[in-house]
Parts: sequence; structure tokens; C-alpha cells
Amino acid sequence: MLTAVTPSAYVVIVLLVPIVLIGLYSFGLITNVVGTHAAFSTSDWSDFLTGAGNPFRGRFFTSMIVTLVVSGAAVLGAYPLAYFLAFVAGRHRYTVLLLILAPFFTSYLLRVIAWQVILNNNGVINSALWQLGLRAHGHAISWLIYSKFSVALVLFYAWVPFVALPIFVVLDNLDRRLLDAAHDLGAGRLSTFLRVTLPMSLPGVAAGFVFVLIPTTGEFIAPLLVGGPSSQLFGNSIQAFFSDTPDWQYGSVLALTLVAVVLVMLALFGRFIGGDLTQPEAEGA
Amino acid sequence: MKAVGRTGRAVLSTYFGLLVLFLYAPLIVLLVFAFNSGNIPALPIKSFSTKWFSSAFSDTTLTSALLRSFLIAAVNGLAATLLGVMAAVSLARRRLALRTVVVTLILIPLVVPYIVLAVGMVVLLHQLGIATSLAAVLAGHVVISLPYSVLVILPRLRTLDASINEAAMDLGASELRAFWFVTLPLLGPALFSSFLIAFTISFDEFAIASFLAPPGSPTYPVVLYSSSRTPALLPEVIAIGSIVIVLSLALVMLAEVARRTAERRLEARAEAPPLTAG
Repeated sequence: MLTAVTPSAYVVIVLLVPIVLIGLYSFGLITNVVGTHAAFSTSDWSDFLTGAGNPFRGRFFTSMIVTLVVSGAAVLGAYPLAYFLAFVAGRHRYTVLLLILAPFFTSYLLRVIAWQVILNNNGVINSALWQLGLRAHGHAISWLIYSKFSVALVLFYAWVPFVALPIFVVLDNLDRRLLDAAHDLGAGRLSTFLRVTLPMSLPGVAAGFVFVLIPTTGEFIAPLLVGGPSSQLFGNSIQAFFSDTPDWQYGSVLALTLVAVVLVMLALFGRFIGGDLTQPEAEGA
Repeated sequence: MKAVGRTGRAVLSTYFGLLVLFLYAPLIVLLVFAFNSGNIPALPIKSFSTKWFSSAFSDTTLTSALLRSFLIAAVNGLAATLLGVMAAVSLARRRLALRTVVVTLILIPLVVPYIVLAVGMVVLLHQLGIATSLAAVLAGHVVISLPYSVLVILPRLRTLDASINEAAMDLGASELRAFWFVTLPLLGPALFSSFLIAFTISFDEFAIASFLAPPGSPTYPVVLYSSSRTPALLPEVIAIGSIVIVLSLALVMLAEVARRTAERRLEARAEAPPLTAG
């Protein structure tokens, strides 16, 4: 009994109680502003949800679009990779998979800093173009950094290898006899892929999509380092309300919105990422 | 029929090669510019130099932050693994009251954005009247490491033959003794992986630490972030970063070799004749 209660209680205290407190803050039921007393108020919620031209709501939608585009691009980029691993890489595919995943296990912050070095106005790409005489010295490509492009590129970079994983697992476990059967029944390679392999790999694709979607909804590190004023994400607004320009009540509204978004995503896609943890014993164990 | 034709193979292989290049490019850039004598990480490359390493290691802000992060990561590895073992043991049981609740609680940290966890903990500490501290950073790191720890330990626990434990108890060992002397040693490789994963998560973690580490004692990622915004300090960041990256890659390889060795040993044991034979 103790073995189940201790870790559960830990998560409740360190994670769930804080989220409840954020909820109370967002309705003004607790306040940290000296001299004001706490009273129930929906003013920040209604400002965020219905206020005309609310900048944070605008940023929320932009952020969601960036997240969806990045997740979609990561799936498109990862699919051929997973396909290569499953069908071309052969006997050493697990070693090759490790080669792909290894950068993922190095510091995320460091890799973002490295991208900043690459994309900077006097960074690796621009200075290389100057050296090669392809661009006039001192003239940097304007959209290369501090843009939505740079933020999206870094997020795509960070997640591509990880998305390949669930797709690879599905493709690798695909019953090859089905492909032979499709061929025997007269299907070419393309139509076998489109009508057998692709549909059967969709659960892996969905899982990969969610693997990017959920963590990137709260992303704020990449925009801090390679984003400009117009490419800050929703996570940056939350961060700002709790540090630079403190307004915990408004910040709590945004943080709780993010929690709600994640819950909606889980309701929509949760079944693709559920493990076998809910079963008392794994099958065949 | 092969699933991929000759053209397909060529196209996929080329794509794979380019993607590997893309994935490793930032790492290579850090390694190259760590040894570049120029003050700005840009082309053309100046002469070979190790001066950034010596200036990085004489920067006490950076080195003390590294030490701090190393300690937090080590304690986090132990704490998350301990909680992970507890959770895994209860989930491996055939019967567990409120199993869905326990599973949900343990997996929740995987989906809660770190920024929400971070500001939530700031609010919690404020309500309790406690100042931000490295202990708070550690508390946050343990909660985000816990699900990974359970996901590593539980599958291993399930492959263990329950009858070994029962045999120990039949021979008079208490449940705790049987667990300590029989189950725990068999869990060895999984515990090691869990420790490594939790260590890495904590050592690299920026979001939570940036809110909860007290200004006077920042963790290494926090220093990394603030230094990277100061052009004069960027080469030092790159030098230290290149060391950390090489060590992380070595760790990944070490973990993989350890996993393979453990797997081979398990296979060898499975092929051995059962004890009851003869």
C-alpha cells in the first residue's frame, strides 16, 4: 500500500496542488498583490477569452498554429526516416536508430544555443555566404533568425528523431506477408504502400504527432533564444507574467488555458500513446 | 517482393544521410568552435586554440553552477529511482486498489508543460511562505523524472519470474528481505538506466530551474542561458557545451552497451537447462 501511496502523494503535492492553486489565482480567490484582498472575479478570464483584440488570445492562436505546423512537418520528416530504418537499414537497424536518437539525449538548451550560433546575423550560415561571395559582406538573411522560421526550424529539429520512433516500431512489426499478399494480388510498390503500409502505420503516425504536439504547446526556450518579438509563443507570455512583468492572476489564466489545451489533446489522441501500464500484467509475461 | 525498390533505396538512403547531417550539424558546430581562437563563432575559422576551455574552467560562476547541477542531478537520479521502484512494485501487483488513479498520477508529469509546473511551484512556495531554493528545483526534477523511471523499471520487473521471489519466501525470507536480496539485484540494469535518465533530465533542465533556483546559486543550464546572451561569454559556453555533449554521447553509448550485455546474459540464462531437470 505504502509503495503506491508515496509516489502518488508526491505527484499530488508537487504537481496537482500547484495546478489547483493556479486555478484559484486565475479567479482571484488567492492574490499575491499586497494591499488587495482576495475576491472571486472572472475579469481576467473574460478579458482573455472575449476582450476585443486581446493580444494574448492572438498569441495563443498563433502559437497553436506554429505547434500544429511543426508537429505536421516533424511527422512528414520522420516518416521516410522510419521507413528507411524498417525496410532498408536491415540487420543493424537498432544501431542506426540509436545514431538518430543520440542527439536527442544531449542538452536541449545547448542544441538551441548551437542553432543560434548557426543562424545568427553574423553566424555560421551568413558568414559562410559572405566568405563564398554569395552575399555582400555584412548583409545577413533577414528571416534566418529571430523569426517564426527559426523557431519552427529548431522545434522541428528537436523533435524529428523522436517522432520517427513510434512510426518505426509500427513499421518494423508490420506483418511482411501482407505486403507479399498485396503483391501477389497484383498491387505495385506504390499502391501497396498507399493501400497497405501507410494505413497500417497510422497509429504510429498519430502517436508521433502527439509526442511533438503536447510538449511544444508550452515551449518557451527556443523563442527566447532564436525568436524575435513577433515569434514569441504562448509559453513566453506565461513566463513573462511570472517574472518580468508580474501579474500572477493573468498568468494563471494563461497557464490554466495551457493545461486545458493539453487535456483536450489527450482526450482526442490519448488512446494512441497509452502504454500497457493500466493492465496488471503485460501480455505473455 | 522487397518493400523498397532500387530507386526507393537510393532516395531513402540519401534522405537518411542528409538527416543525420542535419541532426549532428549543431553538435559539430559546437565542437569546431570550441577550439577556434576567434572571439565570434563565425567563418572563417581562425587558429586552433584551447584558451576557451581554460577561461571556462577559471570562470567560477560556471564551474560552481556545474558542480551544483551535478549534485542535484545525482540526488535526483537516486530519489526518482527510489520512488520509481516503489511505484513499479505496486503496479506490478496483480491486484491494486485504484490502479487507474495511480497510473494516471504517475504519468501526468509527462504531459504537463514544464512552464506550468514551474509557475505552479512558484505559487505553491509563495503560499507556504518558503523562499525559492535548490531543494525546490530538485523537487520539481524528481516529479518530471518519475514517469521515465517507472517506464524503465516496470517492464523489467514484469519479466522477472515471480516464483523466484516465492521460493525465497518459502525458505523463510520476509517479503522485504526477499525483495532486497532477490528482486532488487535482478532489477540492477533497469535501476542503472533509471538513474542515468533521471540524472540527464535534471542536469539539462532549464524551465523549472530558471524559476526556482535562487539568483545567488543558479544551476548550470541557467548560467548557460544567461551567458549565451552575452557575446563575450559565448565562446566559453561553447567550450563547456562541447564537453557536456561529448560526455552525454558517451553516456548514451555506455547505456546501450550495458543494455545489450544485460540482454545477452538474460538470453544465455533462458537457454540454460531448467533447474528441475534431472
